[in-house]
Amino acid sequence: MSGAENPSIHRRLDEAFGGVTMTPEAQDLKEEIRGNLAARVNELAAGGLDGPAAVSQAIDELGDIRELVGEVAGPGRAAGARAANAALDARLLHRVRPKPAYVVGVVIASIAIAAGLLFMVLGATGVLPLPIGPIIGFAGVASTGAAWIVGGTLAHETTSNYPVSKDRAGGYFFATLLGVYGLAVGGLVALGALPVWVVVFAALGVVAAIVLFAFLGATQTNRKKAWAREAAREYQGQDRFSQDPVAAARFGIYSAVIWIVAFGLFTGLGFMVGFGISWLALLAGLAVHMIVLARMLFPSDVPGVSTPGTGLQEE
Amino acid sequence: MVNDAGRNPPQPEPFSADLLRGHTDTIVLGVLKDAESYGFEIYKTIRDATGGAYEIKEATLYATYRRLVKDGLVEASWGDETQGARRKYYRITDAGRAVYLQNVRDWTATAHIINKLLNVKGGMP
Repeated sequence: MSGAENPSIHRRLDEAFGGVTMTPEAQDLKEEIRGNLAARVNELAAGGLDGPAAVSQAIDELGDIRELVGEVAGPGRAAGARAANAALDARLLHRVRPKPAYVVGVVIASIAIAAGLLFMVLGATGVLPLPIGPIIGFAGVASTGAAWIVGGTLAHETTSNYPVSKDRAGGYFFATLLGVYGLAVGGLVALGALPVWVVVFAALGVVAAIVLFAFLGATQTNRKKAWAREAAREYQGQDRFSQDPVAAARFGIYSAVIWIVAFGLFTGLGFMVGFGISWLALLAGLAVHMIVLARMLFPSDVPGVSTPGTGLQEE
Repeated sequence: MVNDAGRNPPQPEPFSADLLRGHTDTIVLGVLKDAESYGFEIYKTIRDATGGAYEIKEATLYATYRRLVKDGLVEASWGDETQGARRKYYRITDAGRAVYLQNVRDWTATAHIINKLLNVKGGMP
């Protein structure tokens, strides 16, 4: 019988922690002891000792944990002093180290992004005599690096977040790849390295990325760990979007409108006037976006009596 | 460390368990100095190193881990076991390494002095 599945470990642990106020610290200690008991029971089982007998022996070897349990129990400690460091304590208690492979991957991806962008720009501006094929290839290298960082980060368990599933992480990877590649190809068109009609493909990539991101964002479920949500609840109060979901939804719609108009202007101006000027449409879109964000997050009137359309009233 | 020699009957081991208990923190740091480890593995390493003759109670070790983490001498993090109970791993910090080396130096010097005072030569009186 495997130690982890042995029900008597859980029963005996519950008995040992009976009557104890389950502070995060006490819960943490209980989980740690559970893991170690399971390891010891497995060892005893490998030595030929039967399930329940192995559990009994492992518990006996544990020694007297009552004093220890009393130490981590809730009451008896200065509540005020605890609250000040509560968030930090929780972070230490739940700490998950980043995997070395992931950290190395992020560094390599960052180098790929930097090198890809550098050679792409040098090639496109004619500083390096590169044919157009490799230049597009360098754009691909940079966007793959960016996509890998996004996908890898989401598929990676952190101290405060659970990993997203492999499929969803793949979706985020693909969306980032399309979006960044689209922007990079758009940049190549703007630099004059590619004919103007290629901007259609760039725009297609960016639009597909936006659609994919919208889908992923809309179907995204919670990935924050329970302790992080609790810590966030304590700090809530300033953030308008978490207090007022209606404002957040309104902001989302405003953003979509702003960017659709900006991309429309960008493409339209690009074909009619020239791509040397049309990027100003994107810049204007970004500026309006930031102004709307500021007005939505920090309304000038008292929160709670805001009227619909607060963010754009004075535009 | 509480000295409970008065309450316990004399131990049959050919060494002083109390003396050992007084160095639990350093012993744990010594186990962790080469590789990170989790509770039961640390316990097993200590048990096996003494040939099974003496084992530090796991309850004592949990108190030691808490103290070491509080003092910043080791860092704790949860492992990523996909099945079974999750393990809490401990890893020595640079501060922990420094304290370990200092404690080892102190112990070596102290042992040297005591050996001298007791007129011990080559482990025999």
